[in-house]
Amino acid sequence: MNDNQSSGVELKNVVMKFGEHTVLHNIDLIIQPGSLTTLLGPSGCGKTTILRLIAGLELPTSGQVFLGDEDVSVLSASQRDVGMVFQSYALFPHMTVGENVGYGLKMMGIVPNERTERIKESLDSVGLDGYQSRFIDQLSGGQQQRVALARALVLKPKVMLFDEPLSNLDSKLRRQMREDIRRLQQELAVTAVYVTHDQDEALAVSDEVVVMKEGGIAQQGSPKHLYLNPDSKFVATFMGDANIVEGEVSNVGGESKIKIGDIEIAADSSEHYADGKTQIAIRPEALSLIRSTTEPSLQGKVLSRAYIGASTEYRVKVNGNELFLISPTGSEEFEIGDEVHVLITPPGISPIPD
Amino acid sequence: MKLASALMAFDARIKWIIIGLIGWVLFPWKGLEYGIFESTQSEIFEAYAWQGVNTSLISLFSLITLWIRPWRSLSKALLIDAIISIGTFIVVLLTANYAKESLGYGSAIQLIVLLGIFSLTLARMGFVQGDPYMTTAIVFVMASIVVFVLFPILIIFSKVIIAEDGTFTPYLFFQNVTGFGVFRTLKNSLVMALLVGALATFFGLSFAIFTVRVTKRFSGLTRIFSMLPIITPPFVIGLSLILIFGRNGTINDGLIFLFGDGGLFTGEQGWFERSPYIYGFWGILLAQTLSFTPICYMLLVGMVSTINPAVEEASVTMRATPTQTFLQVTLPLLRPGIANAYLLGVISSLADFGNPIVLGGDYDVLATEIYFSIVGAQLDYPRAATLGILLLSFSLLSFTIQRRWIGKKSYVTVTGKGSGGFFQPLPRWVRIGATTVTLTWMFFTAVLYSSILLGGFVENWGADYTPTLAHYEELWARGMDYGAWPSFITTLQFSAVGAPLTALMGLMIAYITTRRQFVGRKMVDFSAMISFAIPGTVIGISYVLAFNTAPILLNGTAIIIIISFIFKNMPVGIRGGISALSQIDRSLEEASLTQRATSIRTIFTIVLPLLRPALISAIVFSFVKSMTTVSAIIFLVTADTQVATTYILGRVEDGDYGPAISYGSVLIVTMLIVILAVDKFIGRSRIERGQAPG
Ligand SMILES: Nc1ncnc2c1ncn2[C@@H]1O[C@H](COP(=O)(O)OP(=O)(O)OP(=O)(O)O)[C@@H](O)[C@H]1O
Ligand SMILES: [Mg+2]
Repeated sequence: MNDNQSSGVELKNVVMKFGEHTVLHNIDLIIQPGSLTTLLGPSGCGKTTILRLIAGLELPTSGQVFLGDEDVSVLSASQRDVGMVFQSYALFPHMTVGENVGYGLKMMGIVPNERTERIKESLDSVGLDGYQSRFIDQLSGGQQQRVALARALVLKPKVMLFDEPLSNLDSKLRRQMREDIRRLQQELAVTAVYVTHDQDEALAVSDEVVVMKEGGIAQQGSPKHLYLNPDSKFVATFMGDANIVEGEVSNVGGESKIKIGDIEIAADSSEHYADGKTQIAIRPEALSLIRSTTEPSLQGKVLSRAYIGASTEYRVKVNGNELFLISPTGSEEFEIGDEVHVLITPPGISPIPD
Repeated sequence: MKLASALMAFDARIKWIIIGLIGWVLFPWKGLEYGIFESTQSEIFEAYAWQGVNTSLISLFSLITLWIRPWRSLSKALLIDAIISIGTFIVVLLTANYAKESLGYGSAIQLIVLLGIFSLTLARMGFVQGDPYMTTAIVFVMASIVVFVLFPILIIFSKVIIAEDGTFTPYLFFQNVTGFGVFRTLKNSLVMALLVGALATFFGLSFAIFTVRVTKRFSGLTRIFSMLPIITPPFVIGLSLILIFGRNGTINDGLIFLFGDGGLFTGEQGWFERSPYIYGFWGILLAQTLSFTPICYMLLVGMVSTINPAVEEASVTMRATPTQTFLQVTLPLLRPGIANAYLLGVISSLADFGNPIVLGGDYDVLATEIYFSIVGAQLDYPRAATLGILLLSFSLLSFTIQRRWIGKKSYVTVTGKGSGGFFQPLPRWVRIGATTVTLTWMFFTAVLYSSILLGGFVENWGADYTPTLAHYEELWARGMDYGAWPSFITTLQFSAVGAPLTALMGLMIAYITTRRQFVGRKMVDFSAMISFAIPGTVIGISYVLAFNTAPILLNGTAIIIIISFIFKNMPVGIRGGISALSQIDRSLEEASLTQRATSIRTIFTIVLPLLRPALISAIVFSFVKSMTTVSAIIFLVTADTQVATTYILGRVEDGDYGPAISYGSVLIVTMLIVILAVDKFIGRSRIERGQAPG
């Protein structure tokens, strides 16, 4: 399988309405060739709708969809070069595994010999060669998932779409499958768009994450970037835990400083923030406790603590705010009611203007 | 890719145009008065489009313009295509209507071609996600619904507000409604329907309780019940009642023998005389109750068997006696089912034509009065239309109540899982009551059906019980052109042609209304609903009124009979399709689409194979239904298109009960064979499922 066949995806100004109900508002989205991009967001925010628009299962109310350089906005699903793995797998119950995987090849008019060959190759890549003549109801859930994957891969599509592909599997299998999907995606260098509810899954497999909110894109970026530099409260709290505090940004000589209480911290230099008072999101890992210090710090009092194995979680009351932080097992321990100093260490500190 | 698809769409368009041109040249444009086989050469010749300057030139011009497309931009071309194709369509219809010229094969082809081009254009404009095949299917379904459902109904309405001379007289309807006997007929129909609904529900409920809760020994009963209404021509119950209770019926004979003049217990002067008590109110009541009890039973048996035993157990643990449990828990749980069955009984009784026509006597009901208004010398179309509107309104009303109000209230959830627990024994009186009712009914039904089967083998039931094969001989042994053969073969032909079309139409409507989004879906939904509620008689009268004149003159043809089959029995296909489709995950089709299959291939490789059982049962069911249909087609048949049911009715009218009964039993046996054969082929219980009303 060659890798020059993968192409990027672009949505330009896409609006999607179902009747009066606007499900997507002016979506502009670029997905790089060969990357795995995850769409993440609360239920009903339009993730599936975006996938279906890319697949051609829905046509946008207005706006354009590009696969590579080609405007496919008006092409139907069967005319687009995409593969899709459905949440329900959507395997044809009246066909064998081999017939399922070979279905698209048959539709494309590939001769039987080559078909057999490619079915074998594709099933082999998901570890199911030899299952060709089984019927779908003779497979386990995990195997069905693999067949669905093989069926989508066998056509060597430019773009692969996954709609919560792992949600019907138990957690162990899920972890393994997501690694397999990632490995295959990288081997084939195929562009993949992946929808999930699960942030861990999103962070683990993606090159890029697109966080969605109510039919719009809240933020797009690498998993790390989104985690460390959320630009809204929504993204900050949706991707993991975040403390939201009042602070102030000042730009002096090209450098942004963030001031929280008495503490002044240099902001991530790759970002630019406007001057003025704003809210700041702080990841729990950016906070640490110390009994006494001469460094600038916030004074507080331990409200609660919970030992959870690899770390201990604390809630600390500071200036009427409650801060949540995680301290690795092995570091100094505190009791409820202790007076403590809270230190703030980048990364994980991000002004959120809205 | 895009160019290729553009070319494909272009190709299909040109193909349509070529068909249109061929049709224009080769087929007679105008309708032939005597059909294409009976007309003389010169008559056919004169009907051709190129016989002179006429409206067919407009169509020809449009086709050529569509082919050449003398304009530039694509988006404008689509719009112009759409306007030309649909515009010409309308012009052809309107000019034919105006000129009082009926459409012929040529113009029919032309209309189809124009619709086809219109569909392709719509698809290119993004209708139904730009899917040309689906768009074509939807446009044709919608067009046929407009022509064969909505248009005829509109015509009925127009007949009662537009006087013969064409003036608009809304007063006419009022005059007709208050006209002689109309109110009485309406009252008769409603009284009958309400009573039959109640009785059929009561019996149906008793049987359901009996088969589910009293004994499992009669589980075959369910199967028999499910088949009876399907294979029994609608007037056969009435006919057998005449054999048993009629003036010369068995009961009368017995009574005369015992108590009549010179009877066993009486002297010269008996206390009993023959009387036609079975004709009229009581006869219809009895016949309809017998006919519709199985339908109510089928609806209720599902409900009774899905009651969760735990609910009754809970009641018993709270110190309720069995009687209290039955009255306070079990029956209330069944209330929606009972109401549903009741309304179904009401609708069936309103629509019933077969029983009143043979038993009616002087008890006139809407369904038969419609027929009598236009039969023979009467020809009172406004009156028939008025009665038709009343009948349609009341059955639509009942149907709407059933759908809107009760359809949603189901306390009984079907999970498919055994909910555990055991049913509490029912109170003694319920068990004894249900058993008595059921066994009596079964005995009675057995007697009726045997009288049907045996009646054909005696000289003259009631007068002369000498065994004979004369009736069968008369019907079947005098060569293919005599007796029953012509009508029997016609019936088989019509049903065989109609059944697949009916099933296909039904499934297609089920598919497009549940699976596709498109402008006009509401209209298809609404028409589907009308087709569920419309009584056959109303179809009959509306077709007579709508297709007796230009532009669409179809009366007297086989086509109109087959079409009436299609639209009368379509609900079977729709129901079967909807329930089968609800079992098929939508994403299967989407998976197929993303696997490069076009929508049409998806239908053939995924949807149809998965729908196969539903398709086959819909075909079988509509075949059998067509064979027994009488109400819709009695208006439409001619001497050439006589079918079995109308032939039998004719014999009944002449008082030839022997041949009528023997023909009836042959029909029943034929249908039984068809059903059993197909059943064996595809596994049982498929066919009954198509029957489940709801
Ligand atoms: N065919 C449809 N008709 C009407 N509304 C629809 C249709 N499909 C989706 N919607 C609406 O569009 C919105 C977005 O749906 P979508 O399926 O894209 O959400 P999602 O982000 O995938 O949610 P989930 O995480 O629950 O799968 C929802 O409000 C949904 O109700
Ligand atoms: Mg979704």
